[in-house]
Amino acid sequence: MTGKDKFRFVRQNMKKSKMRIFMTVLASAMACTFLIVLASVGFGLHQTVLRDVMEEDAINEISIYGTEDEDGQYRNINKEDVEYFRSLDDVRAVSTLIYLNQQPEYIVDTHHIHANTRVSEFFGEEQAGIQLEAGELPSAANEIIVGYHFLQNLSPIETDEDVEVYDENGNILDELRYTEDIIGQTVSFTIEKYMGDDEFESKVFEAVITGITEQPAREWVEDTTVYITEEMLASIESYTETTKGNIYPEEDEYEQYYTGYDDVYLYSHSLPHVEALTTQLQDEGYYVYSVASQLKEINILFNIAKAGLIFIGTIAVLIASIGIYNTMTMAVTERAPDIGIMKAIGASPKTIKQIFLLESTYIGLLGALFGTIVAYIISYSVNFIIPLILEGVYGEPLPDGLKFSAIPWTLVVIAVTICLIVTIISGSRPAKKATKIDVLKAMRREI
Amino acid sequence: MITVENLSHHFELGKRGNQTRIPVLHDISFEIKQGEIVTIIGRSGSGKSTLLNLISGFIRPIAGDIFITDTNVTKFNETQFADFRLDNIGFIFQNFQLIPSMTAFQNVELPLILKGLSEKERKKITDETLKRVGLEAYHTHYPSELSGGQQQRVSIARALVLNPPIILADEPTGSLDSETEADLLNFIQQLNQEMGITFLIITHDKEVANIGNRSIEIQDGRLVQGGSAS
Repeated sequence: MTGKDKFRFVRQNMKKSKMRIFMTVLASAMACTFLIVLASVGFGLHQTVLRDVMEEDAINEISIYGTEDEDGQYRNINKEDVEYFRSLDDVRAVSTLIYLNQQPEYIVDTHHIHANTRVSEFFGEEQAGIQLEAGELPSAANEIIVGYHFLQNLSPIETDEDVEVYDENGNILDELRYTEDIIGQTVSFTIEKYMGDDEFESKVFEAVITGITEQPAREWVEDTTVYITEEMLASIESYTETTKGNIYPEEDEYEQYYTGYDDVYLYSHSLPHVEALTTQLQDEGYYVYSVASQLKEINILFNIAKAGLIFIGTIAVLIASIGIYNTMTMAVTERAPDIGIMKAIGASPKTIKQIFLLESTYIGLLGALFGTIVAYIISYSVNFIIPLILEGVYGEPLPDGLKFSAIPWTLVVIAVTICLIVTIISGSRPAKKATKIDVLKAMRREI
Repeated sequence: MITVENLSHHFELGKRGNQTRIPVLHDISFEIKQGEIVTIIGRSGSGKSTLLNLISGFIRPIAGDIFITDTNVTKFNETQFADFRLDNIGFIFQNFQLIPSMTAFQNVELPLILKGLSEKERKKITDETLKRVGLEAYHTHYPSELSGGQQQRVSIARALVLNPPIILADEPTGSLDSETEADLLNFIQQLNQEMGITFLIITHDKEVANIGNRSIEIQDGRLVQGGSAS
């Protein structure tokens, strides 16, 4: 008996009990829909979180924040390490940052700000492809660039005591802001040093602003940092006679913490290179963070969650399989005389079994097909309606691209496979029962 | 064609551990040659239907051997017997045993489907076979729309459709009136003469027994007459 004939036979048999088959397919479809929609929440939120991470962090960036020396002690990254990083094949660029160990007051005309100061190797930044909001990178020792929010946080130096400088959100009032073009402006800042006996001395340095960094990816980050050149750091260090402009003299036992670079960023060509580099550097004892390692953790977490949701959904499919088992058992009982006749004229037990297995599989497949279609409709509806409801309730727009539910093709394949396996298992016992039907009893209508 | 050697059978009735053994056939041996029409006669409960069911493979003998076309079919498993039946044996039953949800055409076509023939071949052979039994105008009729004689003709067409060398018939005229019975017996003789098909017919009707080349009589499970071929 050919597969086509078996299928024709199954369809002919199914037409005899349309309502029962319809209800069974409906139960299977509902179970399949439940499975897909439930798991789609895990897939949707996973996609949202991944996109969020990819948007906020530079995908090709690896942050290195230290290593271990021969004694297993923590130390900062030094110049030799940076040279080694630059020699690696997969590394496109390396940028470094040193934190100035005091927070000077920067004065621009009539305005001032206390800002963190970082020493940048602008050559590395240029190679890494740093984007500026305005202006250009420093080309001389006394040139600096400032963070995106530096300008809007400049507050007037002299104000009347009863004049309110900040609005209710903590921002400087528009009318009190610095309104001149900041690029090209000369900034003066004061560096302090400890002279002993609670005595401090200070010196004013001057620099010219040549650029403004681009807006940080995270909306809530406020960047007022000032980026100075290595040459300017050298001038500061020669004045303070300490490393990184420390106000107080250093103690040698903590040398490994205050020498070297505070932040080092490696830039690779693509995400696979980042993953390989991250593993390599971790193996070599460097303390490394990259999107790749974060993605790995996120993927593990969400894969566990998705597996859990699929498991719960599978329970629904198992419940629906009871209906399929019942339908197939009734079909075998009803068709026992026909099965007896078929066996009498030469149908093998294998053929009989295949016909009933095909019927249960067909029911499962129809259920999975309709279930998947309905699941897609529900998924689109959820992604459309829930944001509207939440926006209505909280009065704030939700982040762009937020997905509550996503149905990738892999989920459809998983769900259909589960449905098929469960329906084949639930149909196998009735199919086996059909092969055991006694020809004589069946033909005498005794079954 | 069919050789039965020392065939014995009994049924066990009752629950396990407390079963009663009912002997049905005792040491039956006979031979049927190709092209013969042999009838097995006997009273109700004599064991003739059991004998046919054993030859058909619907039940397994307790002892003895059955050879059909020189093959010992008692050694077959269920699948092997099913394949053997499909290729070698056609069946005519007292109650026709047609599938009620299938048309006359579909019932006759069923063995061809099981054999795996193409749709085109099936249509050609089924049409020819229905024409041969005089039912070319009843292709789309369901069994419930046919008379007893017509249903038995559909049943014969189904038995003939794969050109088997043997046809086993269990009380083929049992559900027919005398006129239809005579037609059917003539048709069986015609098939025997034209196609050389071997018939083994179970009956308790003397008129049916008379169409055969010889009769095998069974009484209380024992063969009392006609064991050897002439």
